[in-house]
Order: sequence, then structure tokens, then C-alpha cells
Amino acid sequence: MVILAAVLMGVIGLAFSIFLVTANSRFAVEVNPKISGVEEVLPGVNCGGCGYPSCASYAEAVATDEAPVDLCVVGGAETAREVAHVMGVQVSDELKEKLVAVVFCQGDSEASAFPGLYKGIPDCAAAAYSQDVAKRCKYGCIGLGSCVASCPFDAIHLSATGIPYVDAEKCTACGNCVAACPRDLIELHPISQKSFVYCKSQDPGVIARKVCKKACIACTICVKAAAKDENPEAVTMHGNLAVVNTQNYTAKPEYGEKCPTNSYNTDQNSINREKVIAALEAERRKREKVTT
Amino acid sequence: MTYLIVLISAVLVNNFVLSYFVGICPFIGVSKKIDSAVSMGIAVTFVMTITSIVTWLINHYILIALGMPFLEYVAYIVVIASLVQFVEMFIKKTLPALYKTLGIFLPLITTNCAILFVALIQAMREYAFIQSVVFGFGAGVGFTLAIVIMAGIREQLELSDIPRPFQGAAITLITAGILALAFMGFSGLTSA
Repeated sequence: MVILAAVLMGVIGLAFSIFLVTANSRFAVEVNPKISGVEEVLPGVNCGGCGYPSCASYAEAVATDEAPVDLCVVGGAETAREVAHVMGVQVSDELKEKLVAVVFCQGDSEASAFPGLYKGIPDCAAAAYSQDVAKRCKYGCIGLGSCVASCPFDAIHLSATGIPYVDAEKCTACGNCVAACPRDLIELHPISQKSFVYCKSQDPGVIARKVCKKACIACTICVKAAAKDENPEAVTMHGNLAVVNTQNYTAKPEYGEKCPTNSYNTDQNSINREKVIAALEAERRKREKVTT
Repeated sequence: MTYLIVLISAVLVNNFVLSYFVGICPFIGVSKKIDSAVSMGIAVTFVMTITSIVTWLINHYILIALGMPFLEYVAYIVVIASLVQFVEMFIKKTLPALYKTLGIFLPLITTNCAILFVALIQAMREYAFIQSVVFGFGAGVGFTLAIVIMAGIREQLELSDIPRPFQGAAITLITAGILALAFMGFSGLTSA
């Protein structure tokens, strides 16, 4: 009985597989070979940094000439060249400035105390609904690490004091953490630009100072320093917050020397940044040598 | 007359989605736009009808004839999986646009419990051949009806001001529940 049952199922299965094989050859669809070719050279991490949901859909868009070949932020120039090779087009050899995620808050547990204990879902977006039980500053980092969870490259982590820091070496600027932060504290900026006002608080100075030791208190010292340097566009006031111009990135570290709360500084929230900058510089020099 | 009763019963009274609650996955997943809902409904109807034909034949001429009706679950799953594969190939070749709209839900028909449910129910009720074909077709039509109604409602929902906690899946499930209540009004129309 058991053997008969097994044989029967085997026969049924075989019959259907023969049927499927014949159907498959009859209904075979020719797939654009470029799609799989492009997909092969893509990193395959499906981070969504290019704007397409997966590497496969980006590959399809490239193969049908809907998308340019150099959108992959993870692979960068190297992948762009390979994709261009598959597609048979030329890609400019210029090095794109590497972007890196920057966390615009320094209000860690030492600088900005917690008024209460949040015991809800460990997710920043959920905590952001309950304004008062998250960190004291209502503009600052909540510190539950939604950005950490969103990172497919293990490039962002929480420090011991509860502020995310970015590993510039691993960061590919895919932008997942930017979208994950409910308070919009993470932005992508060129890796060479380190001088920012690491604060997003729009509170008036008195309140800002009360809720966080490292907040921008709108004293305008950095703005004045920039004006003195005949570069008034580099730092400007946006309400109660000094903001570094991200159109031209001309702000210098010196403008923040007198910052009373040290909110204007040269990036405390990342590691390996110098290393990457040095590596890029070396690469650039190597290229220059080749061209000259 | 019995065919009519079987048909109406499958479409309205014992609607698969809204009365038996099978096939909820595509019901929620593909009911955002009426066009794709209609295509999904047609694909499911097609698969259901063919499934009921083939499973009836297998059940009667192989399983029952050889005295092994206990194999029906396994056999039906093989049948359904192969048929869905076939339908997928067929649509991919002949209607690429439809293939793209249905996307992942086409292969997911394989694991759609509604299809297996058709096969098992018609065996359980011991339908005759034409009856089970009508039943499979009717179940598919019922599914199409439910998913198209749902898509129509959801297209309206897109424009309405839904409170934030209810947006998305929540309001869809609530709507499905109310729709099921409405379909309960058909009970008693037929006895089958």
C-alpha cells in the first residue's frame, strides 16, 4: 500500500513535470540578457539607495534605458564602470565625491537628560508620538536606534551614551537611516565637509540651553565669525538655529572655535572618517599621476 | 437547476473570501486598483476551474479507483502547483502587461488556500463532474466579485480622510469585515 502510494505520487509528479517542461519550452520568453548581466555586477544588497526597490528592478530599469548606469551608491564608481561595460556605454571617469550620513544631534544622555522612562516599542517613530517621554529636547535624537536597525551595511551604531555614530568606511550613503529618523536628524553630505552645527533645535536659546548642554543657542557667534572671514553665506541663521550652507560647503572649522556649547564643531558622531578621506585622496593622486 | 444552485451558492451565499475566509492574502494584497483586481480575479477563476476539472479526474479515476483517497491532499497540491506554474508561463508569454500587474501574486496563487479549498470541498461534497466544474468556476467568480468590490471601496478610501491609526491594512480589514457582514445577508438563499 505504502509503496503503491509512493509510486502513484511519483507517477503523478513525473507526468506533471513532463507537462511543465514541454509547456516551458513552448512558452519560453526571451529575457533581455542585459538585465541579468547588470544584476550580476550589482552588489545585490537591495538597499534601495538608487531609488529602486531592489537591485533586480534597478537592473531592469538600466537595461531598458530608463535609468542611468551610475545610480548604485554602494558600488560607487567601480560598479558604475562595470554596469556601463555591460550596457556598452561610457561613464565619465571623474571621481564622485563620496557622501556620508551625518547625525545632526549631540544630545546624548549626558548632555540632554531624560525626564521620564520610555517603556514602549523600542522604535524611534513610535516614541516620537509620545513627545514628552523621549529625550528632553523635542528636536533631538530619541536614541532608540531606528537608524541602526535600518542600516543594511552595519555602518551606524549607538554610542554608549545613546547617540548614533556613523562608520564612514562602511557607510554607502544609501539613505535608509535618513528615512528612518522620525526627527530628520540624519542627512547625507560630502565626506570632506566636517564643519556643521550639529543641532536641529529651534528652541529659543534659553530653553535650548536648559534642555541640552550641546544645543545651538542661537548666539550667532559662528555666523559673525563667517562674516568676518568674508564668507557670510557659509553659516546663516534659520530661526533659532545656525545652519551651515550645504549648497557650497565653505564653512570652516575655525568658525566654531568660540561656540559656547560646542554645537558647531567638526563631527563627533562618526568614526573612520579621516581614514576614508585619506584613502580617497590617495586614489585621487594616483589617478592624477596616471593622467599626467 | 442544481447547477444554478451550486453556482449561486459558491458565488454569493458561501462566498469563499467573505464567508469561508480563504484566499485573504490576494484579497488584501491585490485589491488596490480595480484593473489589477479584475485580472487577479480572472487568473484565480481560471486556475480554480482548471483545478477542479483536473482534481476531479484525478480523484475519481486514480485515487478512488486505486482505493487511495487519503492521497488527495498531496496529489492536489502537486496539481495546483503545476497548474499555477503553467498559468504563469502562459500569461508571461501571451499577456506580459498582465504578468507585470499580478507580479508576485501570480506564483502566490500556488499557496492560495482557496484553490486547495475548492478541490477538497468538491471531493468532500461528492459533486459530479459538471457540478464540480461549476463549483470551481463559481468559487472563482465569487472571489473576483469580492476582490473587485473591495478594490472599488479601496479606491474610494484613498480619497477619504481616514484617522491615522486606521490607515492602510487596518481599514482594509475592517472594510472586509463589514463586507462579510453584508454577504451574510445571502445566507438562507440556498441550502448548499
